[in-house]
Amino acid sequence: MSRLPWWTGGILMSGLLLLTFSVFGADRPIGASTYVPYFADLVFDLDPEKYSYLKEIQNAGAWEGVMLMGALFGGFVTSVFITKSFRISLIPSGWKKHKNTSVLSRLLWSFVSGFFMIIGARLAGGCTSGHFMSGMSQMAISSMIFGTVVMIAVVITGKLFYHTKEQ
Amino acid sequence: MDIRVVTEGDDFASRLAQMFENVIHQGHGSLALVFLIGIIFGGIIQYTRVDKFEKIAGFAMLKDTIVPKMLFLTVGLTSIGLYFMIEAGWAHYHVKPVIWQGLLVGGTLFGISMAIMGKCPGTGPVSIAEGRIDVLVGAIGGLFGGLVFTVYYDDFFKPLMGESLGKLTLPEFFPGHEHLVVLIFGVVVSLIAILIPKIEMFDEADMKQLPDEQRPDMKQTKH
Repeated sequence: MSRLPWWTGGILMSGLLLLTFSVFGADRPIGASTYVPYFADLVFDLDPEKYSYLKEIQNAGAWEGVMLMGALFGGFVTSVFITKSFRISLIPSGWKKHKNTSVLSRLLWSFVSGFFMIIGARLAGGCTSGHFMSGMSQMAISSMIFGTVVMIAVVITGKLFYHTKEQ
Repeated sequence: MDIRVVTEGDDFASRLAQMFENVIHQGHGSLALVFLIGIIFGGIIQYTRVDKFEKIAGFAMLKDTIVPKMLFLTVGLTSIGLYFMIEAGWAHYHVKPVIWQGLLVGGTLFGISMAIMGKCPGTGPVSIAEGRIDVLVGAIGGLFGGLVFTVYYDDFFKPLMGESLGKLTLPEFFPGHEHLVVLIFGVVVSLIAILIPKIEMFDEADMKQLPDEQRPDMKQTKH
């Protein structure tokens, strides 16, 4: 399993952000949560004239939708040819070790957390990409608030939800 | 900005075509460039393995710090570069507004969900692309979340988010010292990335594919 060290990843990601922000690139930040309601509207066939939110996210949703297709492709190719980590799996090893060994439990929790993750991201106006990476890079106060709240919620949930004591 | 879309129809295929058409006309890079940005984005996330449950949920358990280290370094480096690009007219600000209730309620929901799923909306698709079915189920949950948010936006979610206090940034609070604030912010955030102690939680399923001498978890115990 080959992989890049965190600092190489950070430098590359920074380069990609600067390219995306620049007028020579896309002249906008990277975001990765608006595409979810956008696709939901496509899948459930909602009428764009009827829902004001759908109108609001037309452009951002479409942009991120295309970017997401690229991410799926890039992730797939990298996992198959470079890191050789592609494999079909239903439950992560870390879940088995620190939560339980039930596939049903993992799938249910995934579904529920996926549901609330998108509600949360859309309430806050962004996610790890849009707020934490793109927003904090612009020194936006909103993104610093989001980052702080998320970090605290993540760590408290980690403590309460998983069995973290070494057996 | 209003974008004229000529593709007709409201079936799924037509709306997908409208998505591509929208991106072509909205002036945020060509279709190929946006797709390429996605490929690189997915490639970096996959190659650094920060989309793994053991990295994100591992951070929630405080047993892995690769994700915050990489995130903080990205922010530190980008903040300095971006500021001077904006000064030179090569980029613009796209700051999100301070909406206290939305940020507090949304951030809390997001953080809890991120710790449980061990993914976020950017890393999730990469995990799906490498064959993680549980994350695909999470994404379907996310689609329903997006549906509920769209349908109840006007009546419930928009009032819940509260008033916007405007698009504030840190340097605005130090008029006359903007450059210094940017430099200090960038350096401090990068230093935080370097100073966070590196601890890692490894995935047995990945490790047992490697011979003993190549296993990073074995190397760590030797030192």
